[in-house]
Amino acid sequence: MFVLAVIYENCTGCHLCELACSFKHHGVFDLSLSRITILTKPEVQTSVQVYCLQCQDAACERVCPVDAISRDKNGAYIINYDRCIGCRECAYACPFGAISFEVEARPIKCDLCEGEPECAAVCPHDAIVYMEEKKAARELKKAKAAGVAYGLYGGKETSEHPRKKAEEAVEYLLELVEKSGELDI
Amino acid sequence: MSTSSGPNAGSVLIIDLTRGKVVKREVSSETVKRYLGGRGFNSKALFDMVPGRIDPLSPENVLALGNGTFAGTVLPMTSRLHISTLSPLSGILGDGNAGGEFSAMLKFAGYEQIIVTGRAEKPKYVFIEDDEVEIRDAEELWGLTTGETVDWLRDEHGDEVSVAGIGPAGENLVRFATTMVDKYHSGARGSGAVWGSKNLKAIAVIGTKGVEPADPERFYEMAKEDIDYFNRNEFVKRIYSVIGTHYGLIQWYPSWKYFQAPLSAEELPVGLRPQDLAEYEVGRTQCFSCPLACKDVYYLPSTGEYGTSSEFESIYALGSNNCIIDTEAILRMEHMADEYGMDVMTLGDTIALARLLHEKGILSGEELEGLSLEWGDAEGQIQLIEMTAYRKGFGDKLAEGYRNFAKLYGDEALAYCYDVKGVNRGWYEVDFINGIFTLSHATSTRGADHLRGRSWAYWENDKLMDIEAVKRMLEAGLPDYRKDPVGALIYGERACTLADSLGRCKGSINSWLQAVPLVWKYPVFKGTAMLLTAFTGIEFTEKDVIDATDRIYLTEMAFNVKQGIKKKHYDVKFPPEFAATERAKAQVRRHWELVDEYLERRGCDVETAYPRRETLEELGIGYVADQIEEKEFPEWDGPVREVA
Ligand code: SF4
Ligand code: SF4
Ligand code: SF4
Repeated sequence: MFVLAVIYENCTGCHLCELACSFKHHGVFDLSLSRITILTKPEVQTSVQVYCLQCQDAACERVCPVDAISRDKNGAYIINYDRCIGCRECAYACPFGAISFEVEARPIKCDLCEGEPECAAVCPHDAIVYMEEKKAARELKKAKAAGVAYGLYGGKETSEHPRKKAEEAVEYLLELVEKSGELDI
Repeated sequence: MSTSSGPNAGSVLIIDLTRGKVVKREVSSETVKRYLGGRGFNSKALFDMVPGRIDPLSPENVLALGNGTFAGTVLPMTSRLHISTLSPLSGILGDGNAGGEFSAMLKFAGYEQIIVTGRAEKPKYVFIEDDEVEIRDAEELWGLTTGETVDWLRDEHGDEVSVAGIGPAGENLVRFATTMVDKYHSGARGSGAVWGSKNLKAIAVIGTKGVEPADPERFYEMAKEDIDYFNRNEFVKRIYSVIGTHYGLIQWYPSWKYFQAPLSAEELPVGLRPQDLAEYEVGRTQCFSCPLACKDVYYLPSTGEYGTSSEFESIYALGSNNCIIDTEAILRMEHMADEYGMDVMTLGDTIALARLLHEKGILSGEELEGLSLEWGDAEGQIQLIEMTAYRKGFGDKLAEGYRNFAKLYGDEALAYCYDVKGVNRGWYEVDFINGIFTLSHATSTRGADHLRGRSWAYWENDKLMDIEAVKRMLEAGLPDYRKDPVGALIYGERACTLADSLGRCKGSINSWLQAVPLVWKYPVFKGTAMLLTAFTGIEFTEKDVIDATDRIYLTEMAFNVKQGIKKKHYDVKFPPEFAATERAKAQVRRHWELVDEYLERRGCDVETAYPRRETLEELGIGYVADQIEEKEFPEWDGPVREVA
């Protein structure tokens, strides 16, 4: 089983996923039509992806009075718009605010893009991944461990982690510079 | 769920602060084809609306904010806000761009450009929510720092607002105050004082509409290829997204002690190395739609503050050029400059010049009232920065900015002022990189500057990012700077004009690969032409793109002609000790030869440096020639001052 997982620590808040998602479903770049929402506070480096987790036991599915929500083969809860009466119960019931709506229109939610999530395809920082569940769990653990090292949790003091990464970057840069000296254009 | 389509969805918002009126004007396809957007729209508006030789701080000046053609779309890095005005620092065109989310929000609200004219009697701010535009009282906001202003506006209008505005430096008419976007993104030195002179504190915008390309599938496919390119690039992943422009500390020779010694990677002192700065980093961030994340978010233990974007420029200007190597002090100064809303380069360079003049005895100790101008005094500099923002004591003089500051101390001081057209950017030998550095500073339409074409002319960073792409560009007709420096520079200037007009970022990697969309695949401007066609539905050829950039550049030159710029202002400055040598004299001769060749190839008169009528007519802007031939413009000598 594949899952769409988000790694909050990696998200820098670029909004590319939102633009890609709204385009894929509506052919337009419109944040309000994206099934994933990025809440950002750049000054304190917290960006949070709000999106559908495709819960095991989904509140939206349960509350829908006309049984318009069901799971497809990819594990995505899909709204059947032939049945949907536009009551917005699903949106109110979702504990994560992952279902968007406008009063005049039908609610919208993540459908996992039929197994090819566009958001994961454009995300520059592996903050959204779509992978086999065990692998996703492993990736998540690694990211959390790095997050602890990064000093993201428990206190504002920074750690050795960014310094090490910067040192590696400088080393690689010097390597490239040396190589480019030999290049004759 | 309102969406918009057409050549360019938005309209132009004209805000007259004197009358308190707002007018909306449609943008025609013709205008998009000829001026693209962003900088192009702004430069045309300034040429058409601002008369010659006026006081930049008078109500007649115009402040133009333009989002680029592709703002709000998924094409990466295209949501920079271009800000243009007649600069109170230089007295010529002053423009620049800032990141953040403002430009995307403005596009989502349905606008391409905001033009502010006149002067309000009392402090105001403008609130835009889609079609609603209101001029509101800002008395409560006056005096707040940029961070406090954003917080206040978020409290009032919700977290989604994006804000462009000024801090105390802009209010106090510091001549190099900037426009600040979303707290930390600074753009267009000098423009902040223009907001201040108009009694305009901020513009807050919420946009909820969508942007729809004319040919959605085609546009999306190309945009995604461009995202993939950056997502896969090793240089971006392993260096750029990790240390951002700090990599310039290793590569770009930050200057030491008022441009006396450029520091090589080996000479870089502890405190100024990328890894030293990384110790303060708590995360990374970027502008809207950018996959690069060039900006660090830092935390200052001593004050408990967060800041972002400690770029190379702030570190050299506030740090090494003043012999300051205390990392946290430099970050603190950078953060102060953001909060007050001041340009770090003019701030740092002006203080460094003051130190030099003091050392040489040209600036006496008396007026300093006990302040120290010793090299390397970080605490003293923190005090100077605050005094400058509030124009207190000696800070009142520093607030005049670089050349205007030097002028207060006469010719002796001016001899050490390495400006072009009033703007600072250090000094370089003409022989350096085949004449490109000095020539590019001389020909920049906003005064000495590194982001007007120079780095592009010699593929400064492209070489490291993707050498194969450079080869493809050369095959496609990009001039090779080793054989043809003037041709290479003109192409570099075109690339920068284009990026600024499309809203695309060029400021972080300073490279073709970043500034010109899809250049790695369809060189040189073919990719841009394809994207423009798909997005606007207007047919663009590569020649159309080149012509648009030339139209914009020559309009800017003509704008400066009206401000009194003559050929002599294309000069090169050296320190007096070096200027006296035979070597320097030979270099000056070479410089003027290059200037002549440049003017000739740009279609300008080699004697006057004015754009020639035939050139302008060929570009379809004969009306520009009418205006600059109309009368004699008195010679430029810094910004005009109506009131003492
Ligand atoms: S998987 Fe598809 S529908 Fe779901 S958030 Fe990502 S792009 Fe949107
Ligand atoms: S694309 Fe990735 S990094 Fe960018 S906002 Fe979305 S999740 Fe965050
Ligand atoms: S590279 Fe940096 S400055 Fe440019 S758009 Fe991205 S985050 Fe902004």
